[in-house]
Amino acid sequence: MLVSIAVVVGAVTTAIAYFVPWLPEQASEQREGIDAVFWITTAICVSIFALVSAVILYSVFKFRAKPDDDTDGPPIHGHTGLEIAWTAIPAILVIIIGVASAIVLARNDRGGPDALRIQVTAQQFAWNFRYPNNVTSGTLRLPVHRDVVLQLRALDVLHSFFVPQFGQKQDAVPGELTKLAITPTKVGKYPIECTELCGLGHAVMRSQAVVMPAAEYDAWIRQEGKRIKGPPGQAGAAVFENNGCGGCHVFSPANSQGQVGPSLNELEQQARRAGKPLEDFVRESIVEPEAYLEPDYPNVMPKTFAQLPAEQLDALVQYLVGDEESGG
Amino acid sequence: MSTTEHHHPEVHAAPRPPATGLRRLLAPGFLRAIWMMALFFGIGLALVLGIRAIAGWHPLWHWPPVLAVAFLTTMPLGFLAGIGAFDYWTHYALGRPTRPEDHSGHGARSWRDYFRVNTDHKVIGVQYLVTTVFFFVAGGLLAMFVRAELARPGTQFFDPQTYNGLFSVHASLMIFLFIIPAFAGLANYVVPLMLGAPDMAFPRLNALSYWLLPIAGIMMLSSFLIPGGAFAAGWTGYAPLSVVGSDGNIFFQMAVQWAGASSIMTALNFLVTIITMRAPGMTFWRMPLLVWANFTTSLLVVIATPFIAASQFFALFDRVLGTDFFRPESGGYVLGYQHIFWFYSHPAVYIMMLPGFGIVSEVISVMSRKPIFGYRLMALSLMAILFLGFSVWAHHMFVSGMAPWLRVPMMITTLLIAVPTGIKVFSWLATIWEGKLNFSTPMLWALGFLSMFVIGGLSGIYLGAVPIDIHTSDTYFVVAHIHYVLFGGSLFTIFAGIYYWFPKMTGRMYDERLGKLHFWLTFVGFNATFFPMHLIGVQGMPRRVVDYAPEFANWNFFISVASFGLGASTIVFLYNMINSWARGPRATGNPWRALTLEWQVSSPPPTFNFDEIPQVVGNPYEYGVPGARHAVLGEERVEELERVR
Repeated sequence: MLVSIAVVVGAVTTAIAYFVPWLPEQASEQREGIDAVFWITTAICVSIFALVSAVILYSVFKFRAKPDDDTDGPPIHGHTGLEIAWTAIPAILVIIIGVASAIVLARNDRGGPDALRIQVTAQQFAWNFRYPNNVTSGTLRLPVHRDVVLQLRALDVLHSFFVPQFGQKQDAVPGELTKLAITPTKVGKYPIECTELCGLGHAVMRSQAVVMPAAEYDAWIRQEGKRIKGPPGQAGAAVFENNGCGGCHVFSPANSQGQVGPSLNELEQQARRAGKPLEDFVRESIVEPEAYLEPDYPNVMPKTFAQLPAEQLDALVQYLVGDEESGG
Repeated sequence: MSTTEHHHPEVHAAPRPPATGLRRLLAPGFLRAIWMMALFFGIGLALVLGIRAIAGWHPLWHWPPVLAVAFLTTMPLGFLAGIGAFDYWTHYALGRPTRPEDHSGHGARSWRDYFRVNTDHKVIGVQYLVTTVFFFVAGGLLAMFVRAELARPGTQFFDPQTYNGLFSVHASLMIFLFIIPAFAGLANYVVPLMLGAPDMAFPRLNALSYWLLPIAGIMMLSSFLIPGGAFAAGWTGYAPLSVVGSDGNIFFQMAVQWAGASSIMTALNFLVTIITMRAPGMTFWRMPLLVWANFTTSLLVVIATPFIAASQFFALFDRVLGTDFFRPESGGYVLGYQHIFWFYSHPAVYIMMLPGFGIVSEVISVMSRKPIFGYRLMALSLMAILFLGFSVWAHHMFVSGMAPWLRVPMMITTLLIAVPTGIKVFSWLATIWEGKLNFSTPMLWALGFLSMFVIGGLSGIYLGAVPIDIHTSDTYFVVAHIHYVLFGGSLFTIFAGIYYWFPKMTGRMYDERLGKLHFWLTFVGFNATFFPMHLIGVQGMPRRVVDYAPEFANWNFFISVASFGLGASTIVFLYNMINSWARGPRATGNPWRALTLEWQVSSPPPTFNFDEIPQVVGNPYEYGVPGARHAVLGEERVEELERVR
């Protein structure tokens, strides 16, 4: 009977474990290793749970005392063989898990010698990514099948970079540089989440990782690299686009429709209200958004844009101001 | 022993005549506490404002130091002085005559004695339990608010500050004001009885330990009232967020000091009691496993708790004094906070679990009518967990950016803890095997614990394995894991303990049917609430979020509905406890036919527990052994002593 209960419990728990889609889509080499350890651990844990449940269920039905039975059970004090067995076997099982984990960890830590290095800046409550040619963006673009090493910095408090489909996670720590290796294996769009409580906007500190075919990525990064070195209008437009400014602001030259922050078509009026020269005002509003808040708009703009390279910041300011002057 | 001749309550324990007129203001009690709180608050405020005025710092009124000193340090001291927690020591220090055998503050003659500084460990045990159940209900209500907000994506009822405050205060109350002190309360009641001792070693210190608790709890709850809102950096209070966040963080940082001081003093008390006050014949290898469990827990508390106190003081100093422990911009070491914090807070997981192991050992042995299987290995595995528990803290930091080499050794030690824990689980299973199982409510909770704790332990193996942890840390998988360990683990054992010793503590029997109803409602509600969290966790839902991606909406709705059912099951518990305490049928001295010493005296026990110190002659779990005795009392004891002589 004990055996039949163990089989039933084992079958039920295994069914739960294997037929429920536990893990999110697998989209990185690192996830392959993680998933392997996950399933080794699951096999071991499900068997242990089935065994324990079977013993409990069997005992509940078999050893229930009759209502009028006041006698005691047999005075068994122990059994050396059994005790050695249930010390040694779990020790072996966890060592198996430990060894598998250590192997996978060593592999997943390696970024590869010619990995693509991307600087990640985390700040309440936004991500910013800078590529080797100084292109910056608010969404992360990665070429498929290429080793990538993210170098993470935090400017205020702890944040944590996590893409469930990549399986890799790393805190960004103020005052330290941390690293995370990812080798994407599937073209697609995946959510980036902040998984370390970082304040009031923690839940919405999200972005997107876009894995592109290698050729498409190369074309994109080369074109963006060219654009940011081009004339101010073109460079500014590229910075505006890549950093996702249009997600929150209306700006006619960029055809953007965002409603979270104030319209950038009326920068002149806003500068006058703030009592500052237009160019200074625009620059300050980008690097230090709290300095002047347009009435009726929340103080939610991230301060990450202070990290833009100087020439890109100049280009962005020119783009916003220049078009303002010519257009308006 | 000299203690026996003093312990006749009629002689010295007559209550003082109640004070009248203005003297009532001077007598220890809540009336004196009120004006002394005002006085001490004034002293603290004067100290802060005076120093700021002399130094010329502006503005004069600066919230952080005012909160830290006047509100959260001197005012609570005034409360303690007012209710009389320091009276005896003050007398002593001032050289006034003291009465060493003054027992006027000892034992309860009416319900009012439970609201006084009382030195009787049984009164203190009940004070602990009632207080902790109060904070359990408060923390549970906060969890209901959290689940209400999470029932749908987007923000419904609370702004992010309030929401982050809700889950932070929920966790802090449950950990520092419920699980840890509820175990301390149960042990306070039971351990001296089990040892055959008349009380704890330091009864006045024991009373003080208790009265620190309501201070800490009220501090945590009242942080919702201050401008800027409650502390909202989670119960872990990670720097730098807890340094730069709202002033509510000061309430957490100070409340932890009060609760921690209470914990340390109680643990010292247990250690001295267990080492020095065992009845004759009670060798270490004859101690019930509950005593063993509290012995190891107390060692953990004494060694580890100063570390969390330090981490919170450092974070507080960064804010109030402008120190740079965790400020990266001036050379602070952000990860240092986590190392110090987890050096306490991982052992704290065992502080919240080992006493439960003790309770379950008592219940399973008695209800199975069999000796504990492998008694010595059970005790030794507690010690093994104690030692290993100090070498695993960094498994909370696998993704933190700490020194990478630390991860594999800490993973190995973490996984190895599964071995002594497994020994305990298998030994309990072997104890029920071929027993005569009696499915009373405590036994249901104990078996429920056994199955649920195994799930929590196994998900702990997932989290111990570094690659899986990298994927699942800071997701709902962790939330599921800690609730399987602390709810399915610790809380189930606390319920087992409360039901098991309810007849001893109150002298009345609880309603068995309601107890079983409570168990089944909780068991089903608990699994429906927390099991799906594993799934949304590995799918990638982060913890501590007020809002989440729409793909998690269905499961979250299901979890919220289940959690309301789980919350409602507590009503059955409260009703059963209150109603049975007032009107339940009288309980006999030993309704479970147990061998341990607390069941060999009346229910509730006499003020000084035993008329004579019992003589321990055997092991505590000799069920089924013909003629076996654990201890002999009364006339039998005299005969036994004669025989030995």
